[in-house]
Amino acid sequence: MLTFTEEMLLLLGDEQGTFLPVRQYALECALAGAVLLDLAFAYRIDTDLESLVVTDPNPTGISFLDRVLAKVVARKDTADTQAWIRSLSEDDVEAIREAALTALVTKGVLAKREDRFLRLLRSVRYPTIDHGVVERIKKRLADVLSDEIPDARDVALLSLVDACDILPDLFPDRELQEERHRIAQLRRMDLIGREVAGTIAEIQRTIIQAARAEAARFGKLRLVLSGVAVGAVVATLVAPRVPIPDSFGPSILRNLWFDGTWQEWSGYVLLGLSLLGLSIAVTVKKRLVVRVARSHPWRLTHFVLGVSCLVALFAHTGFRFGANLNALLMGCYLVVVFSGALSEVALRVASGVQLVGLGTPGKRRRALIRLHVVALCPLPALLVVHILTAYSF
Amino acid sequence: MPARIIWLLVTVALIAGAFGATALFVGGDRRVLLIGATTDAHHQLEMSCETCHGTTAFADAVAAEQAVNKACRNCHEDELDDADDSHPRREFRNPRMAVYWEKLDARLCTTCHIEHRPEITLAGAVTLPLDFCSACHSEGDQDVRAHRPSHAAATFDTCASAGCHNFHDNRALYEDFLVKHADEPWLAASPIHGLSALGRGQGAPAEVALTRDDAVAPANALAAPGILDDWSGSGHAAADVNCGGCHATGGDGNTGTVEANWIETPSLAVCEDCHRPQTRTLALGRHGMRQHPKIAQPRDPRRGLSSLGLEGLVPDAVADWLSDPVLPLRMTVAEARLPMKPDAVHRSLHCGSCHAPHSADTRHAAVEACSSCHDDPHTRAYFESAHYELWRNELAGTAPPGAGVSCATCHMTKTEQRGRVVTSHNQNDSLRPNERMIRPVCLDCHSLQFSLDALADVPLIEANFTDRPKIHVESIDWAVSRTRDQAVTDG
Repeated sequence: MLTFTEEMLLLLGDEQGTFLPVRQYALECALAGAVLLDLAFAYRIDTDLESLVVTDPNPTGISFLDRVLAKVVARKDTADTQAWIRSLSEDDVEAIREAALTALVTKGVLAKREDRFLRLLRSVRYPTIDHGVVERIKKRLADVLSDEIPDARDVALLSLVDACDILPDLFPDRELQEERHRIAQLRRMDLIGREVAGTIAEIQRTIIQAARAEAARFGKLRLVLSGVAVGAVVATLVAPRVPIPDSFGPSILRNLWFDGTWQEWSGYVLLGLSLLGLSIAVTVKKRLVVRVARSHPWRLTHFVLGVSCLVALFAHTGFRFGANLNALLMGCYLVVVFSGALSEVALRVASGVQLVGLGTPGKRRRALIRLHVVALCPLPALLVVHILTAYSF
Repeated sequence: MPARIIWLLVTVALIAGAFGATALFVGGDRRVLLIGATTDAHHQLEMSCETCHGTTAFADAVAAEQAVNKACRNCHEDELDDADDSHPRREFRNPRMAVYWEKLDARLCTTCHIEHRPEITLAGAVTLPLDFCSACHSEGDQDVRAHRPSHAAATFDTCASAGCHNFHDNRALYEDFLVKHADEPWLAASPIHGLSALGRGQGAPAEVALTRDDAVAPANALAAPGILDDWSGSGHAAADVNCGGCHATGGDGNTGTVEANWIETPSLAVCEDCHRPQTRTLALGRHGMRQHPKIAQPRDPRRGLSSLGLEGLVPDAVADWLSDPVLPLRMTVAEARLPMKPDAVHRSLHCGSCHAPHSADTRHAAVEACSSCHDDPHTRAYFESAHYELWRNELAGTAPPGAGVSCATCHMTKTEQRGRVVTSHNQNDSLRPNERMIRPVCLDCHSLQFSLDALADVPLIEANFTDRPKIHVESIDWAVSRTRDQAVTDG
């Protein structure tokens, strides 16, 4: 029998061994919650509104569950479930994930494949080899969504899946909007007396709260930064240019835009910020650094760098397109920034908006991310020629 | 997104980038690398970067700037000397002027004129704000507002307003000249353009003039309809230039030699061999600047390959393929940035574009040749102007020689050299700024005040002076007033 943690990872993976584009905070909270659910279903912990307590300190025999159980046992003070989820999602979720994936490989459900991203940077994929396991989990969830009497374990799994907002990806053919009432009803079910003494409901509620707290913590800032970036790109296309000072004398703007030395500096600052942003994105996306489980700050840094790039771009060009190759370079750069920023805006602001022909919010976001990457591809060559041209004349 | 697709896109882009780098360092068309539109006229040289950028890649920035400035002087130094440049470079190179170098370094053309910056390029290819005079003339001994009451309320962005001051050429704008030409009637009593009149009257002595019977050419050439008539009435026949002078150069002019050396279509070098001042000045203007001797030749791709250590590694065919595009020797009408007639775009500019080779009729070259290509309001309005009416009268013999005003009268200035009138074929000689036209052209018929007013009135210029100026330039008033005040002060 698979643990909640393993089942969640299986549902999140695809055939290529990469993961569905789940909001990071939701994934982390869901994995942390899954471990607590596993412990609760194993009768090792119990919860109430104020605290999470150990009812049985004996190991479960599953290494990553036992590590978390030992941590709970070792804690002297009392913490509620939400605090534990936040703690585990911040400090332990990457280790939990790796251990659960390793367990799935050992059980023959997943395979482990190591790749070199762009032949340079190592990345690891976990493609599914036993698709029957995944299909059975999906069938259980589908059964829960139907009017059949649900199993408490399946209700818990459904809640985790719903917290990660991957039901539309798992069941693309179902009209889930119509089943929202059923899902909400399931999540409200009183399972306390019948199954695990209240733990599940509390953990479910806590997962949602923790996820929302994380979203509130980083999401607003990312949304603001994305909005700024989208606005700046749109302004570049449609708004009048910032006028060039037309009186003689010291002028920072004239220096920025027309003095060779200033242009050289702003250009290299822009290049440095861009490379930093790119390396962070690759690092997070491909998990090239072992400890990047807490990806929120990294992602936020990526967004901050994106907006910083726009500031540097303004200093370098005044948002003027220039001509010929420079115009192409500027165009590519703006597409990169615009698609990246818009993907965040589309996910957060327009997630509830159904645009005819444009698919779900997840699909729209993936399309924008693809555009983000495609527009990045010509930049190295364009930049090299741009820099060589600057030094040739 | 699969890594292989990313790899593919990056590789394609890098291959395209390699072509760009090859164009930079070996050979090929580099216009795609231009960072901004080149100014008018210079755009004809876009394929020949080395004409202006004389240093190699990664050269020191100071050396690169000096090379560009040297290139400016290669083409423009003579005209600045002719203009009695008000801010000559040699004066600012004097260490005593070092205090001004930080303010506005007048030793360098590129202080005020930067190429490929259309967003800040003003009239005259100036890339500084219009009030740049304030750099030196706003304090101390040079503070014009303190020393000239008339300028006290003036702002520096009006210094270079039409009719006031130019940075380089003030031959028609300096104070003594303004005072000298004050109070003149707007139109002279007998308005005649002197050098045009002189030019009409000059010619070879009648005794050397050739007739139809003197023509020496192969029989089939002589039989061509109309050619003999044109030639016998042309300046060539009048100056003892027989058919062989153009079609069979180098011989003794006898029939046998001429027939043996006969060239059906002589090259333009034949024209240039005799008309050297015209050829030289043509290369200074927009019509013929590609023939300027300082235009850089296309790069040798093998030299570029050698500098990259690739000599001998690249097949000759590839090296040839990498060659720079050859700069066409003649500008085509299609390349012009002024409005041109659609049916003229295929033409290129050479001697024969304006001068029919056998008739050598300068009257055609003076008006019809221009209007056969140019299609701007100024050109179209000319045919409604008093100037054109006078030109027609002169051609009809009802007005004296020099009374008519053709396109060439204003735009192809004439000078007298050792008793002969020579027409400059630099059509820009009297423009840029247009006050340069005043002394050699306008003042022969009009007052200085009228000329300044007319040349400052942009709509009137567009209408080709079909009305009186609606602008009054105050420079003469101010100069006269100041002179009068000084006389009073001096007692």
